[in-house]
Amino acid sequence: MKSSTGESKNIEHKIYITGDYPIVAEYAEMCADSGFKVFIPNYDTSDRKSHPKKRNIQTTNTIPASISIAIELTNIDLETKRSNLEKLDKKIPPEYPILSSSITVTATEQASWITNKYRLVGISALPTLVNKPLVEVAPTVYSPKETIKTVSKFFALLGKEIEIVQDRIGMVYPRVICRVINEAFCAITEDITKPEDLDTALKYGVNFPMGPLEWAEKIGFDQIIAVISALKNDISQEHYNISPLLKQMSLIRSNNKI
Amino acid sequence: MFKQIGIVGAGTLGRKIAQIAVLNNYKVLIYDVNESVLRRAKELIKSNLFKHLPDTKGIDEYTERISTRTYLSDLSVCDCIFEAVTEDLKIKKDLFKHLDANTKNTTILASTTPIFLITSIASLARNQERIIGLNFIDPVETNHIVEVVKGLRTNLDTINSATEFVKSLNKIPIFVKDSPGFIIGRISQVFINEALKLLNENVASFDQIDKIIKKIGCFPDGPFEYMDKKGIDSSLFFSQLIFEQSSYDYKFRPSLILKRMCEAGYFGVKSGKGFYDYIEQDSEEQNKNKPQSLNVSTK
Repeated sequence: MKSSTGESKNIEHKIYITGDYPIVAEYAEMCADSGFKVFIPNYDTSDRKSHPKKRNIQTTNTIPASISIAIELTNIDLETKRSNLEKLDKKIPPEYPILSSSITVTATEQASWITNKYRLVGISALPTLVNKPLVEVAPTVYSPKETIKTVSKFFALLGKEIEIVQDRIGMVYPRVICRVINEAFCAITEDITKPEDLDTALKYGVNFPMGPLEWAEKIGFDQIIAVISALKNDISQEHYNISPLLKQMSLIRSNNKI
Repeated sequence: MFKQIGIVGAGTLGRKIAQIAVLNNYKVLIYDVNESVLRRAKELIKSNLFKHLPDTKGIDEYTERISTRTYLSDLSVCDCIFEAVTEDLKIKKDLFKHLDANTKNTTILASTTPIFLITSIASLARNQERIIGLNFIDPVETNHIVEVVKGLRTNLDTINSATEFVKSLNKIPIFVKDSPGFIIGRISQVFINEALKLLNENVASFDQIDKIIKKIGCFPDGPFEYMDKKGIDSSLFFSQLIFEQSSYDYKFRPSLILKRMCEAGYFGVKSGKGFYDYIEQDSEEQNKNKPQSLNVSTK
């Protein structure tokens, strides 16, 4: 990672992770398992799962000053994301990187929200991806090579390789899988087949590792809607229309949390 | 339960259906216009049984259950007749009209099309109630799924008999509405189209997309590997038909990338070049059986 003065700095072992709860919990556990000291915000756990319980995961109401890498994982509420990034940029020394989920807003747009633009790099973060051996990384127009090297080194410590893709909404995997899931919900809305048959057909017929509807449950309806909505805004094509059933499922799920 | 199965068309799909039918104790009559094609079909079924059966002693018993015919009217004795001819709507419509007029009323007439609407295929027949779609998913010998497609006028008896037959082959019937691509084709098409859009927008290269989909998504094949194996021309044909049948729904619009590749003669594995180059091109049959053995290098 190159600082504003051009110095390089090794990764130290303290990470602050914030953003959408399920992804934060997954990332916190993964980083903690790899030996990092992890700080996460104090979430309201009344309607959620409990905080991840590991010795080296600590909840906090403020961003610790000694953090050497920050990860922002908000996909749904982009105002909150912007506020989080602004706070991180002010609090964390400028030579340290900020990795930010860039599947619903490009990394370059996010970088434009902060002062130290060169430190932000986009990653594809969606629930269920954390245990995968590869992560998509999207450099911004401001990203120096050193930042990417630092990011690559960080993910190598987590046992992951990186794949550099263009900084576009949805990146690769989230865009494909969310489109497939949305189409599955469209087919169910049209009564093409029964939900359980749809999943069986795709799993055993064409070797999908999981049925699309089962996948949607695991990823979260609100996350999928956030990706498809962002694609619709970005590309303005009607095939990114959100399935009405998917919207309903998301509403039912959020009402059940209250 | 059916006793005698008829199959129209001794191509790959017809042979495979015949094979699984005899293995499940059905008698099979295969029709084709060409006698040498029928002879070859029987030889191929026999050699496939040798490959797949642990005990080769009973193979003659299985192959004796297969008879071949060059007169379509000979299939009139069958309880169920499968259409496994080329994917051409006019040919299929004419065939079902002929089968409807020349078979007993109780015979079930099944199309194996993965793409044409069953209601459309049945449209020239008088007794459309007995016409149904049974889409066997490749590889037919080992794949457990069969889409059971009810045309607008298919009756319940036809659905029940066809379902019973599918189950007797140890396969899982998936009931689907008569709609473009049914369910597997429709979802697979969106999967492929989105990958092609990513490539077209230069978000990532085709081999990067394949790598990401396989490593993150745990899919056995990336979308570009899948299209190369299926055939770029087949992928384009399928894509164009879904687009037409969906009344030109934009989400199914065929990719220009596929059109350009077909024009260039890049048909995938079978032509030695598709998205990937295939240095040592195996025969189509071998590739289907051993997808992992493809000798692949990037362009």
